[in-house]
Amino acid sequence: MYRSEKRSLFRFLAIYLVSTLILFSAGSYIFYVFEKHHLLDLQRESVKHEGEKIQHQLIRLQSTFRPTLPIYLENGYDIALLDIDKKLIFSNFDLPKDFDFTQEYQLRSEYMIYNKPIDPYYLGAAYMIIRMTVDQSGIANLQKMILMFMLSGGVFFSVLGYFLGRMFVAPMRESIEMMNRFIQDTTHELNTPISTILTNLELMETLEKCDAKSEMQRIEIASKTLSRIYDDLTYLRLNQNYHREIRPLDLSRLLQERLLYFAVAIEAKRIRLMTQIDEEIIVEIDREDAIRLIDNLLSNAIKYNKTGGILEVKIDPIELSVKDSGVGIPQKELGTIFDRFKRANRSEGGFGIGLNIVYQIVQAYKYRISIDSEPNIGTEVTITWQK
Amino acid sequence: MLPFSLWSAQEDIQSRLEQECFRCHEKQKIPSEAIYRRYLLKYSSRETIRRKIFGYLSHPSAQRSIMPPQFFNKFAIKAPSDLDEKQLHELIDAYIAHFDIAGKLRILPQE
Repeated sequence: MYRSEKRSLFRFLAIYLVSTLILFSAGSYIFYVFEKHHLLDLQRESVKHEGEKIQHQLIRLQSTFRPTLPIYLENGYDIALLDIDKKLIFSNFDLPKDFDFTQEYQLRSEYMIYNKPIDPYYLGAAYMIIRMTVDQSGIANLQKMILMFMLSGGVFFSVLGYFLGRMFVAPMRESIEMMNRFIQDTTHELNTPISTILTNLELMETLEKCDAKSEMQRIEIASKTLSRIYDDLTYLRLNQNYHREIRPLDLSRLLQERLLYFAVAIEAKRIRLMTQIDEEIIVEIDREDAIRLIDNLLSNAIKYNKTGGILEVKIDPIELSVKDSGVGIPQKELGTIFDRFKRANRSEGGFGIGLNIVYQIVQAYKYRISIDSEPNIGTEVTITWQK
Repeated sequence: MLPFSLWSAQEDIQSRLEQECFRCHEKQKIPSEAIYRRYLLKYSSRETIRRKIFGYLSHPSAQRSIMPPQFFNKFAIKAPSDLDEKQLHELIDAYIAHFDIAGKLRILPQE
Protein backbone atom coordinates (compact mmCIF):
# COMPACT_ATOMS: atom_id res chain seq x y z
CA MET A 1 0.00 0.00 0.00
CA TYR A 2 1.37 3.44 -0.96
CA ARG A 3 2.00 5.96 1.82
CA SER A 4 -0.51 8.48 0.46
CA GLU A 5 -3.03 5.66 0.02
CA LYS A 6 -2.49 4.59 3.62
CA ARG A 7 -2.88 8.17 4.82
CA SER A 8 -6.11 8.62 2.85
CA LEU A 9 -7.42 5.31 4.21
CA PHE A 10 -6.70 6.38 7.80
CA ARG A 11 -8.33 9.76 7.26
CA PHE A 12 -11.37 8.17 5.71
CA LEU A 13 -11.59 5.63 8.55
CA ALA A 14 -11.20 8.36 11.16
CA ILE A 15 -13.96 10.51 9.66
CA TYR A 16 -16.18 7.51 9.06
CA LEU A 17 -15.73 5.98 12.51
CA VAL A 18 -15.99 9.28 14.39
CA SER A 19 -19.17 10.28 12.55
CA THR A 20 -20.60 6.77 13.02
CA LEU A 21 -19.68 6.88 16.71
CA ILE A 22 -21.35 10.27 17.15
CA LEU A 23 -24.45 9.08 15.32
CA PHE A 24 -24.60 5.82 17.27
CA SER A 25 -23.94 7.53 20.60
CA ALA A 26 -26.71 10.03 19.97
CA GLY A 27 -29.06 7.25 18.83
CA SER A 28 -28.16 5.02 21.77
CA TYR A 29 -28.55 7.89 24.23
CA ILE A 30 -32.01 8.73 22.91
CA PHE A 31 -32.94 5.04 22.97
CA TYR A 32 -31.58 4.71 26.54
CA VAL A 33 -33.51 7.74 27.77
CA PHE A 34 -36.75 6.52 26.19
CA GLU A 35 -36.34 2.97 27.47
CA LYS A 36 -35.36 4.14 30.95
CA HIS A 37 -38.44 6.33 31.02
CA HIS A 38 -40.50 3.38 29.91
CA LEU A 39 -39.05 1.18 32.69
CA LEU A 40 -39.61 3.91 35.26
CA ASP A 41 -43.15 4.41 33.93
CA LEU A 42 -43.84 0.75 34.62
CA GLN A 43 -42.58 1.21 38.18
CA ARG A 44 -44.63 4.40 38.53
CA GLU A 45 -47.67 2.39 37.50
CA SER A 46 -46.97 -0.22 40.16
CA VAL A 47 -46.43 2.36 42.95
CA LYS A 48 -49.61 4.13 41.85
CA HIS A 49 -51.46 0.84 41.99
CA GLU A 50 -50.11 0.26 45.51
CA GLY A 51 -51.34 3.75 46.44
CA GLU A 52 -54.85 2.86 45.25
CA LYS A 53 -54.81 -0.29 47.38
CA ILE A 54 -53.70 1.62 50.48
CA GLN A 55 -56.36 4.28 49.92
CA HIS A 56 -59.00 1.55 49.86
CA GLN A 57 -57.62 0.30 53.17
CA LEU A 58 -57.81 3.85 54.62
CA ILE A 59 -61.46 4.13 53.53
CA ARG A 60 -62.18 0.88 55.32
CA LEU A 61 -60.19 1.89 58.43
CA GLN A 62 -62.02 5.24 58.62
CA SER A 63 -65.00 3.35 60.03
CA THR A 64 -63.01 0.70 61.92
CA PHE A 65 -62.94 1.27 65.68
CA ARG A 66 -60.41 -1.18 67.02
CA PRO A 67 -57.36 -0.67 69.22
CA THR A 68 -55.07 -1.27 66.19
CA LEU A 69 -55.59 -0.20 62.60
CA PRO A 70 -53.49 -2.45 60.32
CA ILE A 71 -52.29 -1.29 56.90
CA TYR A 72 -51.13 -4.14 54.67
CA LEU A 73 -48.13 -3.25 52.52
CA GLU A 74 -46.38 -5.12 49.71
CA ASN A 75 -42.72 -5.88 50.31
CA GLY A 76 -40.42 -3.06 49.11
CA TYR A 77 -42.90 -0.28 49.88
CA ASP A 78 -42.94 2.25 52.76
CA ILE A 79 -45.65 4.68 53.63
CA ALA A 80 -46.09 8.07 55.32
CA LEU A 81 -49.40 9.79 56.06
CA LEU A 82 -49.52 13.57 56.54
CA ASP A 83 -52.33 15.92 57.46
CA ILE A 84 -53.38 18.99 55.52
CA ASP A 85 -50.73 21.09 57.34
CA LYS A 86 -48.14 18.52 56.12
CA LYS A 87 -47.62 17.36 59.69
CA LEU A 88 -46.68 13.74 59.97
CA ILE A 89 -49.46 11.46 61.23
CA PHE A 90 -47.71 8.16 60.67
CA SER A 91 -44.74 6.79 58.74
CA ASN A 92 -42.41 3.82 58.63
CA PHE A 93 -39.59 5.71 56.91
CA ASP A 94 -37.90 9.11 57.16
CA LEU A 95 -39.48 11.50 54.73
CA PRO A 96 -36.85 13.82 53.18
CA LYS A 97 -36.99 17.28 54.76
CA ASP A 98 -36.88 18.97 51.37
CA PHE A 99 -39.69 16.83 49.98
CA ASP A 100 -41.54 18.66 47.19
CA PHE A 101 -45.29 18.21 47.62
CA THR A 102 -46.02 19.75 44.21
CA GLN A 103 -44.50 16.78 42.39
CA GLU A 104 -46.33 13.51 41.97
CA TYR A 105 -43.18 11.40 41.52
CA GLN A 106 -39.65 12.00 42.73
CA LEU A 107 -36.49 9.95 42.33
CA ARG A 108 -34.22 9.99 45.40
CA SER A 109 -31.10 7.83 45.05
CA GLU A 110 -32.42 4.28 44.81
CA TYR A 111 -36.01 5.21 45.75
CA MET A 112 -39.01 6.41 43.86
CA ILE A 113 -41.34 8.50 46.06
CA TYR A 114 -44.97 8.85 45.08
CA ASN A 115 -47.13 11.63 46.50
CA LYS A 116 -50.85 10.93 46.45
CA PRO A 117 -53.16 13.64 47.77
CA ILE A 118 -56.26 12.23 49.54
CA ASP A 119 -59.64 13.93 49.65
CA PRO A 120 -61.72 13.46 51.77
CA TYR A 121 -59.14 13.02 54.49
CA TYR A 122 -59.59 9.39 55.58
CA LEU A 123 -58.14 9.06 59.10
CA GLY A 124 -57.11 12.72 58.72
CA ALA A 125 -54.56 11.90 56.01
CA ALA A 126 -54.40 14.59 53.31
CA TYR A 127 -51.20 13.24 51.72
CA MET A 128 -50.14 9.67 51.29
CA ILE A 129 -46.44 9.33 50.48
CA ILE A 130 -45.32 5.94 49.23
CA ARG A 131 -41.65 5.11 48.90
CA MET A 132 -40.58 2.27 46.64
CA THR A 133 -37.13 0.83 46.02
CA VAL A 134 -36.48 1.26 42.30
CA ASP A 135 -35.77 -2.00 40.52
CA GLN A 136 -32.39 -1.17 38.94
CA SER A 137 -31.97 -4.55 37.24
CA GLY A 138 -34.00 -3.50 34.19
CA ILE A 139 -31.96 -0.31 33.78
CA ALA A 140 -28.70 -2.23 34.32
CA ASN A 141 -29.78 -4.73 31.64
CA LEU A 142 -30.60 -1.86 29.33
CA GLN A 143 -27.17 -0.30 29.90
CA LYS A 144 -25.52 -3.67 29.29
CA MET A 145 -27.52 -4.18 26.10
CA ILE A 146 -26.60 -0.71 24.76
CA LEU A 147 -22.94 -1.29 25.62
CA MET A 148 -22.97 -4.63 23.79
CA PHE A 149 -24.75 -3.02 20.86
CA MET A 150 -22.17 -0.21 20.73
CA LEU A 151 -19.28 -2.68 20.94
CA SER A 152 -20.62 -5.03 18.28
CA GLY A 153 -21.65 -2.04 16.15
CA GLY A 154 -18.15 -0.62 16.58
CA VAL A 155 -16.53 -3.87 15.42
CA PHE A 156 -18.98 -4.24 12.52
CA PHE A 157 -18.58 -0.65 11.34
CA SER A 158 -14.80 -0.77 11.74
CA VAL A 159 -14.63 -3.82 9.45
CA LEU A 160 -17.17 -2.28 7.06
CA GLY A 161 -15.28 1.03 7.17
CA TYR A 162 -12.03 -0.73 6.34
CA PHE A 163 -13.51 -2.36 3.25
CA LEU A 164 -15.31 0.83 2.25
CA GLY A 165 -12.06 2.71 2.75
CA ARG A 166 -10.24 0.26 0.50
CA MET A 167 -12.93 0.83 -2.12
CA PHE A 168 -12.68 4.58 -1.51
CA VAL A 169 -8.93 4.70 -2.13
CA ALA A 170 -8.96 2.16 -4.97
CA PRO A 171 -9.34 4.84 -7.73
CA MET A 172 -6.45 6.72 -6.16
CA ARG A 173 -4.37 3.57 -6.17
CA GLU A 174 -5.22 3.03 -9.83
CA SER A 175 -4.24 6.64 -10.59
CA ILE A 176 -0.94 6.26 -8.77
CA GLU A 177 -0.22 2.99 -10.55
CA MET A 178 -1.19 4.57 -13.85
CA MET A 179 1.11 7.51 -13.20
CA ASN A 180 3.96 5.17 -12.25
CA ARG A 181 3.37 3.15 -15.40
CA PHE A 182 3.17 6.32 -17.46
CA ILE A 183 6.46 7.65 -16.08
CA GLN A 184 8.09 4.27 -16.66
CA ASP A 185 6.75 4.07 -20.23
CA THR A 186 7.66 7.69 -20.97
CA THR A 187 11.24 7.29 -19.87
CA HIS A 188 11.49 4.07 -21.85
CA GLU A 189 9.78 5.59 -24.89
CA LEU A 190 12.03 8.63 -24.86
CA ASN A 191 15.13 6.60 -24.15
CA THR A 192 14.82 4.43 -27.31
CA PRO A 193 14.88 7.23 -29.96
CA ILE A 194 17.44 9.28 -28.00
CA SER A 195 19.74 6.26 -27.74
CA THR A 196 19.18 5.56 -31.46
CA ILE A 197 20.16 9.14 -32.35
CA LEU A 198 23.21 9.13 -30.10
CA THR A 199 24.41 5.70 -31.20
CA ASN A 200 24.07 6.53 -34.90
CA LEU A 201 25.80 9.87 -34.49
CA GLU A 202 28.64 8.09 -32.70
CA LEU A 203 28.82 5.50 -35.48
CA MET A 204 28.98 8.24 -38.08
CA GLU A 205 31.80 9.94 -36.20
CA THR A 206 33.72 6.71 -35.56
CA LEU A 207 33.46 5.31 -39.05
CA GLU A 208 33.79 8.74 -40.67
CA LYS A 209 31.35 7.64 -43.30
CA CYS A 210 30.49 10.21 -45.93
CA ASP A 211 27.50 8.29 -47.14
CA ALA A 212 25.85 7.30 -43.89
CA LYS A 213 22.42 6.72 -45.42
CA SER A 214 21.17 3.98 -43.08
CA GLU A 215 22.39 5.85 -39.98
CA MET A 216 20.71 9.04 -41.15
CA GLN A 217 17.54 7.07 -41.82
CA ARG A 218 17.55 5.72 -38.23
CA ILE A 219 18.20 9.20 -36.86
CA GLU A 220 15.30 10.53 -38.90
CA ILE A 221 12.94 7.82 -37.60
CA ALA A 222 14.07 8.43 -34.00
CA SER A 223 13.71 12.20 -34.34
CA LYS A 224 10.24 11.85 -35.82
CA THR A 225 9.27 9.47 -33.01
CA LEU A 226 10.43 12.03 -30.47
CA SER A 227 8.57 14.75 -32.29
CA ARG A 228 5.37 12.68 -32.33
CA ILE A 229 5.68 11.88 -28.63
CA TYR A 230 6.05 15.57 -27.94
CA ASP A 231 3.05 16.41 -30.16
CA ASP A 232 0.86 13.75 -28.55
CA LEU A 233 1.74 14.80 -25.01
CA THR A 234 1.21 18.47 -25.87
CA TYR A 235 -2.12 17.63 -27.46
CA LEU A 236 -3.24 15.76 -24.33
CA ARG A 237 -2.06 18.52 -22.04
CA LEU A 238 -3.71 21.30 -24.08
CA ASN A 239 -6.81 19.35 -24.95
CA GLN A 240 -8.99 21.21 -22.41
CA ASN A 241 -8.08 24.66 -23.73
CA TYR A 242 -7.23 23.81 -27.32
CA HIS A 243 -8.84 26.21 -29.77
CA ARG A 244 -9.87 24.40 -32.93
CA GLU A 245 -9.84 26.12 -36.30
CA ILE A 246 -12.36 24.04 -38.15
CA ARG A 247 -12.26 24.61 -41.88
CA PRO A 248 -12.52 22.46 -45.04
CA LEU A 249 -9.41 20.33 -45.31
CA ASP A 250 -8.25 18.11 -48.12
CA LEU A 251 -7.82 14.86 -46.17
CA SER A 252 -6.54 12.95 -49.22
CA ARG A 253 -3.62 15.31 -49.53
CA LEU A 254 -2.93 15.36 -45.82
CA LEU A 255 -3.02 11.56 -45.71
CA GLN A 256 -0.44 11.39 -48.51
CA GLU A 257 1.75 13.92 -46.69
CA ARG A 258 1.61 11.90 -43.49
CA LEU A 259 2.35 8.64 -45.34
CA LEU A 260 5.41 10.36 -46.71
CA TYR A 261 6.30 11.43 -43.17
CA PHE A 262 6.14 7.77 -42.06
CA ALA A 263 7.80 6.49 -45.25
CA VAL A 264 11.17 5.95 -43.61
CA ALA A 265 9.63 4.00 -40.69
CA ILE A 266 7.56 1.92 -43.13
CA GLU A 267 10.59 1.20 -45.20
CA ALA A 268 12.72 0.36 -42.14
CA LYS A 269 10.24 -2.31 -41.12
CA ARG A 270 9.91 -3.51 -44.74
CA ILE A 271 6.17 -3.04 -44.63
CA ARG A 272 4.26 -3.27 -47.90
CA LEU A 273 2.06 -0.20 -48.18
CA MET A 274 -1.19 -0.54 -50.10
CA THR A 275 -3.18 2.64 -50.54
CA GLN A 276 -6.56 3.38 -52.07
CA ILE A 277 -6.86 7.14 -51.78
CA ASP A 278 -9.70 8.96 -53.52
CA GLU A 279 -8.78 12.41 -54.69
CA GLU A 280 -9.96 15.60 -52.96
CA ILE A 281 -11.79 14.25 -49.95
CA ILE A 282 -12.74 17.50 -48.24
CA VAL A 283 -13.71 17.29 -44.57
CA GLU A 284 -14.46 20.10 -42.11
CA ILE A 285 -11.79 19.53 -39.47
CA ASP A 286 -9.01 21.31 -37.62
CA ARG A 287 -5.66 20.55 -39.28
CA GLU A 288 -3.88 19.64 -36.01
CA ASP A 289 -6.74 17.25 -35.08
CA ALA A 290 -6.53 15.62 -38.51
CA ILE A 291 -2.75 15.18 -38.19
CA ARG A 292 -3.06 13.66 -34.72
CA LEU A 293 -5.84 11.34 -35.94
CA ILE A 294 -3.94 10.08 -39.01
CA ASP A 295 -0.52 9.97 -37.29
CA ASN A 296 -1.75 7.89 -34.39
CA LEU A 297 -3.56 5.43 -36.66
CA LEU A 298 -0.52 5.09 -38.97
CA SER A 299 1.94 4.97 -36.06
CA ASN A 300 0.02 2.15 -34.36
CA ALA A 301 -0.36 0.26 -37.62
CA ILE A 302 3.42 0.48 -38.21
CA LYS A 303 4.46 -0.13 -34.62
CA TYR A 304 2.32 -3.23 -34.07
CA ASN A 305 2.80 -4.58 -37.60
CA LYS A 306 4.99 -7.55 -38.36
CA THR A 307 8.31 -6.93 -40.09
CA GLY A 308 7.51 -7.39 -43.77
CA GLY A 309 3.80 -7.07 -43.06
CA ILE A 310 1.08 -5.22 -44.97
CA LEU A 311 -0.36 -1.78 -44.29
CA GLU A 312 -3.58 -0.89 -46.11
CA VAL A 313 -4.74 2.71 -46.07
CA LYS A 314 -8.04 3.66 -47.71
CA ILE A 315 -9.94 6.93 -47.85
CA ASP A 316 -13.18 7.67 -49.67
CA PRO A 317 -15.92 10.28 -49.20
CA ILE A 318 -17.42 8.25 -46.32
CA GLU A 319 -14.56 6.87 -44.28
CA LEU A 320 -10.90 6.42 -43.58
CA SER A 321 -9.54 3.01 -42.72
CA VAL A 322 -6.11 1.82 -41.67
CA LYS A 323 -5.47 -1.91 -41.61
CA ASP A 324 -2.35 -3.69 -40.47
CA SER A 325 -1.24 -7.30 -40.38
CA GLY A 326 0.13 -7.11 -36.88
CA VAL A 327 -0.32 -8.66 -33.46
CA GLY A 328 -4.01 -7.68 -33.18
CA ILE A 329 -6.00 -6.91 -30.06
CA PRO A 330 -7.62 -9.62 -27.90
CA GLN A 331 -11.44 -9.47 -27.99
CA LYS A 332 -11.74 -8.80 -24.22
CA GLU A 333 -9.53 -5.69 -24.54
CA LEU A 334 -11.60 -4.08 -27.27
CA GLY A 335 -14.12 -2.57 -24.82
CA THR A 336 -11.46 -0.56 -22.98
CA ILE A 337 -9.00 0.04 -25.79
CA PHE A 338 -9.81 3.77 -25.92
CA ASP A 339 -9.00 4.39 -22.22
CA ARG A 340 -6.06 6.66 -21.60
CA PHE A 341 -2.82 4.78 -20.82
CA LYS A 342 -4.48 1.56 -21.90
CA ARG A 343 -2.08 -0.79 -23.59
CA ALA A 344 -3.58 -3.96 -24.95
CA ASN A 345 -0.24 -5.22 -26.10
CA ARG A 346 3.08 -4.61 -24.42
CA SER A 347 5.17 -6.15 -27.17
CA GLU A 348 6.10 -2.64 -28.32
CA GLY A 349 6.85 0.59 -26.50
CA GLY A 350 4.21 3.28 -26.04
CA PHE A 351 2.10 5.15 -23.54
CA GLY A 352 -1.31 3.91 -24.46
CA ILE A 353 -2.43 7.42 -25.39
CA GLY A 354 -2.61 7.03 -29.18
CA LEU A 355 -6.07 5.50 -29.45
CA ASN A 356 -7.26 7.73 -26.63
CA ILE A 357 -6.35 10.80 -28.70
CA VAL A 358 -8.05 9.25 -31.75
CA TYR A 359 -11.16 8.58 -29.68
CA GLN A 360 -11.22 12.13 -28.28
CA ILE A 361 -11.05 13.59 -31.80
CA VAL A 362 -13.77 11.20 -33.03
CA GLN A 363 -15.95 12.25 -30.08
CA ALA A 364 -15.31 15.94 -30.65
CA TYR A 365 -16.45 15.74 -34.30
CA LYS A 366 -19.18 13.18 -33.59
CA TYR A 367 -17.58 10.68 -35.99
CA ARG A 368 -17.92 6.96 -35.61
CA ILE A 369 -15.02 4.61 -34.99
CA SER A 370 -14.93 0.86 -35.33
CA ILE A 371 -12.12 -1.57 -34.61
CA ASP A 372 -12.02 -4.96 -36.17
CA SER A 373 -9.19 -7.04 -34.82
CA GLU A 374 -8.01 -10.60 -34.54
CA PRO A 375 -4.93 -11.61 -32.59
CA ASN A 376 -1.95 -12.46 -34.85
CA ILE A 377 -3.91 -11.55 -37.99
CA GLY A 378 -4.25 -7.81 -37.73
CA THR A 379 -6.34 -4.79 -36.87
CA GLU A 380 -8.50 -2.52 -38.98
CA VAL A 381 -9.57 0.86 -37.60
CA THR A 382 -12.28 2.68 -39.53
CA ILE A 383 -13.31 6.30 -38.98
CA THR A 384 -16.61 7.25 -40.56
CA TRP A 385 -17.49 10.94 -40.81
CA GLN A 386 -20.44 10.66 -43.17
CA LYS A 387 -23.72 10.18 -41.29
CA MET B 1 -41.97 12.42 92.66
CA LEU B 2 -42.24 13.95 89.14
CA PRO B 3 -43.41 10.82 87.27
CA PHE B 4 -46.00 10.23 89.96
CA SER B 5 -47.35 13.80 89.65
CA LEU B 6 -47.48 13.41 85.84
CA TRP B 7 -49.31 10.12 86.18
CA SER B 8 -51.61 11.72 88.68
CA ALA B 9 -52.37 14.65 86.35
CA GLN B 10 -53.01 12.21 83.50
CA GLU B 11 -55.42 10.26 85.65
CA ASP B 12 -57.12 13.45 86.58
CA ILE B 13 -57.65 14.65 83.01
CA GLN B 14 -58.92 11.22 81.99
CA SER B 15 -61.47 11.18 84.75
CA ARG B 16 -62.57 14.70 83.90
CA LEU B 17 -62.87 13.71 80.22
CA GLU B 18 -64.98 10.76 81.29
CA GLN B 19 -67.12 12.91 83.49
CA GLU B 20 -67.48 15.96 81.24
CA CYS B 21 -67.73 14.29 77.84
CA PHE B 22 -67.97 10.53 77.56
CA ARG B 23 -70.58 9.95 80.25
CA CYS B 24 -73.19 12.00 78.45
CA HIS B 25 -72.19 10.64 75.02
CA GLU B 26 -72.48 7.09 76.24
CA LYS B 27 -75.80 7.78 77.80
CA GLN B 28 -77.16 9.18 74.54
CA LYS B 29 -75.35 6.45 72.54
CA ILE B 30 -73.41 8.94 70.46
CA PRO B 31 -69.94 7.33 69.96
CA SER B 32 -67.22 9.87 70.64
CA GLU B 33 -64.62 8.11 68.48
CA ALA B 34 -66.94 8.17 65.45
CA ILE B 35 -67.38 11.91 65.95
CA TYR B 36 -63.61 12.36 66.09
CA ARG B 37 -63.26 10.38 62.82
CA ARG B 38 -65.79 12.75 61.26
CA TYR B 39 -63.58 15.67 62.35
CA LEU B 40 -60.55 13.95 60.87
CA LEU B 41 -62.36 13.23 57.63
CA LYS B 42 -63.44 16.85 57.24
CA TYR B 43 -60.54 18.92 58.62
CA SER B 44 -57.47 16.64 58.74
CA SER B 45 -55.43 19.20 60.72
CA ARG B 46 -55.31 18.72 64.52
CA GLU B 47 -55.15 22.45 65.02
CA THR B 48 -58.28 23.04 62.97
CA ILE B 49 -60.07 20.20 64.74
CA ARG B 50 -59.12 21.71 68.10
CA ARG B 51 -60.44 25.10 67.00
CA LYS B 52 -63.67 23.68 65.59
CA ILE B 53 -64.47 21.62 68.73
CA PHE B 54 -63.76 24.59 70.94
CA GLY B 55 -66.02 26.77 68.77
CA TYR B 56 -68.83 24.26 69.00
CA LEU B 57 -68.50 23.68 72.75
CA SER B 58 -68.40 27.40 73.49
CA HIS B 59 -71.36 28.26 71.28
CA PRO B 60 -73.13 25.06 70.21
CA SER B 61 -75.26 25.24 67.05
CA ALA B 62 -76.20 22.95 64.18
CA GLN B 63 -74.01 25.05 61.83
CA ARG B 64 -70.93 24.69 64.06
CA SER B 65 -71.49 20.99 64.61
CA ILE B 66 -69.62 18.27 62.69
CA MET B 67 -72.84 16.25 62.62
CA PRO B 68 -75.27 16.53 59.69
CA PRO B 69 -78.48 18.70 60.17
CA GLN B 70 -80.66 15.54 60.27
CA PHE B 71 -78.80 14.51 63.44
CA PHE B 72 -80.48 17.34 65.33
CA ASN B 73 -83.93 16.10 64.39
CA LYS B 74 -83.26 13.29 66.83
CA PHE B 75 -80.89 14.94 69.29
CA ALA B 76 -81.15 18.34 70.87
CA ILE B 77 -78.31 20.80 70.63
CA LYS B 78 -76.28 20.63 73.82
CA ALA B 79 -76.11 23.52 76.20
CA PRO B 80 -72.99 25.75 76.08
CA SER B 81 -70.22 24.44 78.28
CA ASP B 82 -69.80 26.10 81.62
CA LEU B 83 -66.09 25.23 81.72
CA ASP B 84 -63.60 28.00 81.27
CA GLU B 85 -61.44 28.32 78.18
CA LYS B 86 -58.39 26.72 79.74
CA GLN B 87 -60.32 23.71 81.00
CA LEU B 88 -62.00 23.31 77.63
CA HIS B 89 -58.69 23.35 75.78
CA GLU B 90 -57.21 20.80 78.19
CA LEU B 91 -60.17 18.50 77.70
CA ILE B 92 -60.17 18.95 73.89
CA ASP B 93 -56.45 18.08 73.77
CA ALA B 94 -57.12 15.05 75.93
CA TYR B 95 -60.01 14.03 73.65
CA ILE B 96 -57.82 14.30 70.55
CA ALA B 97 -55.00 12.38 72.24
CA HIS B 98 -57.45 9.71 73.41
CA PHE B 99 -58.82 8.93 69.97
CA ASP B 100 -55.86 9.87 67.81
CA ILE B 101 -55.11 7.25 65.17
CA ALA B 102 -51.29 7.68 65.02
CA GLY B 103 -50.70 5.23 67.85
CA LYS B 104 -53.16 2.72 66.44
CA LEU B 105 -51.81 2.38 62.90
CA ARG B 106 -49.65 -0.67 62.22
CA ILE B 107 -47.87 -1.79 59.06
CA LEU B 108 -48.31 -5.47 58.28
CA PRO B 109 -46.86 -7.37 55.31
CA GLN B 110 -49.28 -8.14 52.51
CA GLU B 111 -50.21 -11.80 52.52
